[in-house]
Amino acid sequence: MNKFTTLVICASLAFAGQAHSRSFDDVVDSGELIVGVYRNFPPFSYQQDGQPKGVDIDVGQAIADEMGLKMQLHWVIPDENLDDDLRNNVWKGHYLDKDDENPLALKKLADVMMRIPYDREYAYRQDSQTGEMVNEQVVMFGPYQRESWRVAFDTEKLEAVKTMAVFQYHSIGVELDSLPDFYLSSAFAGRMRKNVHHYSTPLMAFEGMKSGEVKAVMAMRSEIDAMLFAENNPRYQVAENGFPSIGKQKWDVGMAVKSTYRQLGYAVEEVVDKMVRDGRMEAIFSRYGITYELPALYQDVQ
Amino acid sequence: MKHTTLGKGFAVSLLAAAISFSTAVTAGVTDQDILNDQATTDDVISNGMGLRGQRYSPLTKVNGDTVKDLRPVWAFSFGGEKQRGQESQPVVKDGVMYVTASYSRVFAIDVKTGDELWQYDARLPDAIMPCCDVINRGVALYDDLVIFGTLDAKLVALNKDTGKVVWKKKVEDYQAGYSLTAAPIVVKGKVITGVSGGEFGVVGKVEAYDAKTGQLAWTRPTVEGHMGYVWKDGKKVENGISGGEAGKTWPGDMWKTGGAATWLGGTYDPDVDLLFFGTGNPAPWNSHLRPGDNLFSSSRLGIDPDDGKIVWHFQSTPHDGWDYDGVNELISFDYTAEGKTIKAAGTADRNGFFYVLNRENGDFIRGFPFVDKITWAKGLDDKGRPIYADAFRPGNPAEATDGKQGSSVVAAPSFLGGKNWMPMSYSKDTGLFYVPSNEWEMDIWNEPVSYKKGAAYLGAGFTIRSINEDYIGVLRAIDPKTGKVVWDYKNYAPLWGGTMVTAGNLVFMGNPEGYLMAFDAKTGEEKYKFNTGSGIVGTPITWDMDGEQYVSVVSGWGGAVPLWGGEVAKRVKDFNQGGMVWTFKLPK
Repeated sequence: MNKFTTLVICASLAFAGQAHSRSFDDVVDSGELIVGVYRNFPPFSYQQDGQPKGVDIDVGQAIADEMGLKMQLHWVIPDENLDDDLRNNVWKGHYLDKDDENPLALKKLADVMMRIPYDREYAYRQDSQTGEMVNEQVVMFGPYQRESWRVAFDTEKLEAVKTMAVFQYHSIGVELDSLPDFYLSSAFAGRMRKNVHHYSTPLMAFEGMKSGEVKAVMAMRSEIDAMLFAENNPRYQVAENGFPSIGKQKWDVGMAVKSTYRQLGYAVEEVVDKMVRDGRMEAIFSRYGITYELPALYQDVQ
Repeated sequence: MKHTTLGKGFAVSLLAAAISFSTAVTAGVTDQDILNDQATTDDVISNGMGLRGQRYSPLTKVNGDTVKDLRPVWAFSFGGEKQRGQESQPVVKDGVMYVTASYSRVFAIDVKTGDELWQYDARLPDAIMPCCDVINRGVALYDDLVIFGTLDAKLVALNKDTGKVVWKKKVEDYQAGYSLTAAPIVVKGKVITGVSGGEFGVVGKVEAYDAKTGQLAWTRPTVEGHMGYVWKDGKKVENGISGGEAGKTWPGDMWKTGGAATWLGGTYDPDVDLLFFGTGNPAPWNSHLRPGDNLFSSSRLGIDPDDGKIVWHFQSTPHDGWDYDGVNELISFDYTAEGKTIKAAGTADRNGFFYVLNRENGDFIRGFPFVDKITWAKGLDDKGRPIYADAFRPGNPAEATDGKQGSSVVAAPSFLGGKNWMPMSYSKDTGLFYVPSNEWEMDIWNEPVSYKKGAAYLGAGFTIRSINEDYIGVLRAIDPKTGKVVWDYKNYAPLWGGTMVTAGNLVFMGNPEGYLMAFDAKTGEEKYKFNTGSGIVGTPITWDMDGEQYVSVVSGWGGAVPLWGGEVAKRVKDFNQGGMVWTFKLPK
């Protein structure tokens, strides 16, 4: 069936099914905050020896602690794009989430979902046919990090990576179906295309660099930083190149709640705002060796 | 569990013995039975009502004069809270109907009474995310087995009398994006299946399993560069790389994740002893990333049923940029031209062209549009290759660097196709194909403000529009020798169910509005109409029993159409879901 990025479908899905997202009062009464995080997504959210780990887990934990609540995790399996993830995990629930024994059970949703881009243009995007706001069922708020792109390279294979031009001649690994994949496969009239090696995850691309399959890896800055930090080997270094003609050079990352539960969003936002301002946020990122850049909201204030 | 195996087997055989005493002879389905399926009117034991997939029945009791009296004799509900698209074709053998339902369920029903004999619910993993709805298109029968594919990409063989699992095989990893929704077919004692999966990174393949044991016999990837294998005496033996070698029609390492899923299953013709499978579009969807023909995406393949070798290929949409899957069924038929019998095959593609191929070697005989509007190609050359209209190829999202929505391209047909999965039929009496088609187009544009898994991404936005105010669906009777549309029937909603044709000069088809309809096969005159209570997206069958002709169809609105927004969704949003098998006959 269809493989296009499905930007317009969510507004029209009309089948029934009650969803289990909760108001601020219900959350406080229950004593638990259900935090949505992506599954298998280091360094943001993943499991190590059965224990949840990662930046977003730590931020979620700090929010729950501050609110006097216990954190429950809702692991998100990513769908084709963010619209789908918001529908499946924040406001509506997934159509396969059904309980045969208890057909009236509510669908499992996160109270608040982490790692949601904070982008006005995205948040207020309209369906080109109906004029309806595509994501009107959620509120995106609370930017806590600014994300970007980065290349790591093997210093025994490449002297330096000053510009992307070297990848006309040398191999580079990327995550399949990611923006680095599109960028390297199409930019500069496709001159780097033949040197692009595709991997299921950035970590597998990094392993590919260690085993000599590729000489460099391109991924999100946080992913590259965390992998280099964990590897702790001066042989692998951050490149100093820019990314000419890439569409999004930087973007901010925040959270989302269902639009009818703004009060919960305000409470969470207050906690996160304090964490950004008093340096606790940066400290969480530095645990994983990640370059911390303030979201635009805070850069403008300073 | 091991210690109970003996006891259980004993109990089962007693039960089977009891059943065989109480009813007539219930012999197992043989290869010969399957090859004769189209000619034997007392059963329907294969998808397509015969392996060629013609969906033609020699029955004549229900005909243009009598069909007005057709009455339901029973209706059977799939029940549960799981009412989604029901795209199944039932099969019938020895007075029992075997039919699948959404969410990988199988039901056995007594066709005399409509009573349930057993139900099997595949236990799906908790975290499963199938790409494309939760439909299933039907079972295959072999020996005493009922064989079908599940959403978590397993083949399951059930005992026909008890519904208990006899064998179960994982065809692919559902976590990697694979699933199974097509009806398998059985050829020469082997179950033949493709794989579904729209996610990026999937590679299509066709596989054969021993029908009785579930042992893998051969596997054939449908993307150039991947090795095929056969199993000889339990040993996996290399059997040649699809297309000879990697990188001939793909750049870089993109062949490793090239798509071309075989998600609609296949047909078989014993005359030329070949399987015919169609393949899905190439990955990634952005054609500008993968210059080249990208074999064997959007193609029809002729495959040797004994070892899986690709004998011939015909690519309907080389270097696809519109999501024109080439999976649609290839139906074998013979016709006479200049005193010679031509072993031909017909197929109506997503891309709006109908192709007549030589089924012995895949050569293009002729092709013509079967929908009114095609923008992406100006026509076909003498080899059947499209002559592209370059202005109608969707743009490269990577060029949208200014953060603005790229220019929009209007392409017709839409990616849901001039014809989608819903099977057409062919009548040797009229020499016509009965093609359920749709008239719709799509806008596609680059969407630079897009995110995936918390990361900036480059997506494409699209929307589907109807071309005409008063209809989208068109059932067309098409002469494959001339390309002439002999008659048509227009339908307000898009058609999503298959057709069947009978020697009684009737074409049967259901529509999303819920009607089972019958048309005069020669003139298109509407002869019969019955509201089944929910939209029909399945395919009817017919058989006879005790001297009476029966017609069955599954009703239950769903599938891909309601998933798409905009104007098309508005046309169908008030259709109610369902999940029923309806069975009809003439009053005595």
